[in-house]
Amino acid sequence: MDWLFEFIQSWFSELMGLVSQGSKRIFFGYMLSATLIAVVWLMWQRQLNCLAAFRWLFQGKIWWSSSSQSDYTIMLLNQPIMLLLSPILLSKLALATTLFYALNDWVSRPLWFSDIPVFWVSVIFTSCLFVVDDASRYYLHRLMHRWPVLWAFHRVHHTAESLTPFTVLRTHPMEGLLFGLRSVLVQGFLISVFVFVFADRVTLLSLLGANVFNAVLNLLGSNLRHSPVPISYGKVIEGWLISPAQHQIHHSQARQHWDKNFGAFIALWDRLGNTLEYGSNSQELTYGLLGQKPKEHQLVTLYWQPFTSSWRYFWRSKGKLISTNNKTHVTSESQ
Amino acid sequence: MNKTLLSIVVATSLTLTGQAHAGAHVEVYADFPITVKNYTGSKTHSEAYTGQIARHTLHNSVKKLVSKGASLEQTKAYFNGKETGRVIVDPVSKDEFAVLQTHVDKISTGKNLSGKAYKGLISGMPGGLTGAELLDLMLEKAAATEKGFDPLTGYDYTQLISKFTMGAVFYNQAVDNYLDEKLAADVNPNSKAYKEGKAYTGKEHVWDEAFGYFGAPAHTMKLTAAQVYGIAKQKADSFAKADYNNDGEVSLVTEMAFAHAYYAASFDKGGKTKYLHTIVQAFLDGRNLISSANGEALTDAQRSKLMSYAQVIKTQWQRLIAEAVFKYAGSVYGDIEKLEAAIEANGNAVKLYRNYAKHWGELKGFALALESGGVNLGETGVKLNRLIGYSPVLLGNTQVAALVDGEFVQSSSVSLSEYRVQMIKLQKLMIDDFEVEARNKNVTANLAQLVDSLGEAMAAEND
Repeated sequence: MDWLFEFIQSWFSELMGLVSQGSKRIFFGYMLSATLIAVVWLMWQRQLNCLAAFRWLFQGKIWWSSSSQSDYTIMLLNQPIMLLLSPILLSKLALATTLFYALNDWVSRPLWFSDIPVFWVSVIFTSCLFVVDDASRYYLHRLMHRWPVLWAFHRVHHTAESLTPFTVLRTHPMEGLLFGLRSVLVQGFLISVFVFVFADRVTLLSLLGANVFNAVLNLLGSNLRHSPVPISYGKVIEGWLISPAQHQIHHSQARQHWDKNFGAFIALWDRLGNTLEYGSNSQELTYGLLGQKPKEHQLVTLYWQPFTSSWRYFWRSKGKLISTNNKTHVTSESQ
Repeated sequence: MNKTLLSIVVATSLTLTGQAHAGAHVEVYADFPITVKNYTGSKTHSEAYTGQIARHTLHNSVKKLVSKGASLEQTKAYFNGKETGRVIVDPVSKDEFAVLQTHVDKISTGKNLSGKAYKGLISGMPGGLTGAELLDLMLEKAAATEKGFDPLTGYDYTQLISKFTMGAVFYNQAVDNYLDEKLAADVNPNSKAYKEGKAYTGKEHVWDEAFGYFGAPAHTMKLTAAQVYGIAKQKADSFAKADYNNDGEVSLVTEMAFAHAYYAASFDKGGKTKYLHTIVQAFLDGRNLISSANGEALTDAQRSKLMSYAQVIKTQWQRLIAEAVFKYAGSVYGDIEKLEAAIEANGNAVKLYRNYAKHWGELKGFALALESGGVNLGETGVKLNRLIGYSPVLLGNTQVAALVDGEFVQSSSVSLSEYRVQMIKLQKLMIDDFEVEARNKNVTANLAQLVDSLGEAMAAEND
């Protein structure tokens, strides 16, 4: 029984980590800053007083909708599932070490970088990590929409009909695995290259235990992407950074919004991929998928149906990964 | 006897045996009873390893003499000589760390190092020399240099002689002699005194001698690794811990830390390994087992158990030497990085080159020690020697390639940069083939730190 006790302890610890660690999106500090930004924005844009802004922000029909309730359940259940799945993921350190040895075997180390001061090495490393990590997120996210076998899993996230910061955790474990693999590949590669070139002079510039860029952007309200608050940055900034309003467009049921704004933080990738859509402070959107039925929030549908749908797509297409450009955002049944 | 009664009897006897064994358990390598039949001498305990401690003081003294630029006559007096009256050059009393013995004779008379040096072939250096011949050659070469350093070959003889002596004498004698062939049933039997009139049996003394060569204080199990490290360094705040009998002086025989025990402590204080206490515990367990035979010949079961303790000691001892190879490979890697940067910037590389040579000497000395354990390292040994080479790669991309008429001859080699990469491969070899765990000066440590700073990969977060 010891293993069960330890497992439950780890589960609880993981759940606590979601709100206590700065590397997690729903870290209480980020939630607090997002709340403050939302209240100030509502008072400014919607001319609400402070109390009314709070009431509007925390309205029960959003936070306790069947969609949100399934968010909370997924959040609770995904932790132990991810605990069980994580050992099968390629080790980031193993990959970084293997690549490091390979680089030393194949390439002669450039010496002209040795003059760069340690601080600037860290700035370059942290920036590269942020940019490449973000680009890879964009690309995988785009694939999750374009390849039916992947969309079957990613649509779980898009069946959310009301958005709260907890919707960020409404993710099928298979998608968690894929994004974990992406993270291992990107970070393992960059770490090995930087240590190869700069040796022990590489450090991560961090804030609250996370990459400083991610932490700052999270403090500036990235949790509002999944919220009813449509904050737009205006066209100039939205060409570079994804605003909450832009990500809400990504979740919109409206056909013209399908397959738009795949980016996480940086909007440049969407510009380059012709998938950028600007947001508006006054936008009113309906979230979820067209033709969505109430059973989409049931656990069996959320966890099991993606496997059957994915297999069906795979079988029909005879194993080909056919692009479904601009055909997602409808229920899997109608695909 | 029915099954229940039988199981009660067995369980009770096992418990009593366990208690009896626990009762006889000794935490300090001292005061073992005299078990020799009909012993009539005046000794009150049976452990004896003063000859090994005398050799530790000879080794420390030779190292100090070479580093001070002593003559060949002076160093040979300690390495090869057996004369009386030799002063212990190191360790000596320091402020707040008084040492009891000042002369080698006060510990044991007639001892030298050369007589016990490994007579097998050492393939890690040119010339086809035995361990003993190589040490003799190094002593001669060292005497012709200024303070033991030859800038032309990059040989730091102080380090080479010291680290290789630790391997070719202490390690070899312990693991390839005392814990190996001398544990055979018909060699130095436990049923007889080691020599006529001695207070210890054959097996007791064989075991004690191996313990002595390891160089640990008798009361190691009452100390932490950091404390043993402090004792070897003769730190003032370690004196009280060293002076176990509270007589105001540290006895070099029972209270000092030397050689590999010091290195074991240096790795263990990092918290990842327990070489020191594992080895000393195995020595204690083995010695308790021999004492428990009470002067009778060891049974097959007892000898088999003793061999298992010996195997623990051999494995751990070899691994801790591999840890040292790992550590100094990392140091050499760092030294080359600094040298490359200095050369690129047209800076002064003299001091950097000296550090590089020092660390290389330590690396090579420990690598040669691995060859001295009486175990054929096979392909590992070949890789080890090829990666390190016969000398450090010098700034003109040359390296010692042969020994011709007693002179080291150089030829062109891999570049300094390629040699640096070989140090990475060497560290990997130590991980793969010796399973080192302390991994001091790990070249890839920064990879692990960065991975840690970035946190776990798995995050079920979605945008």
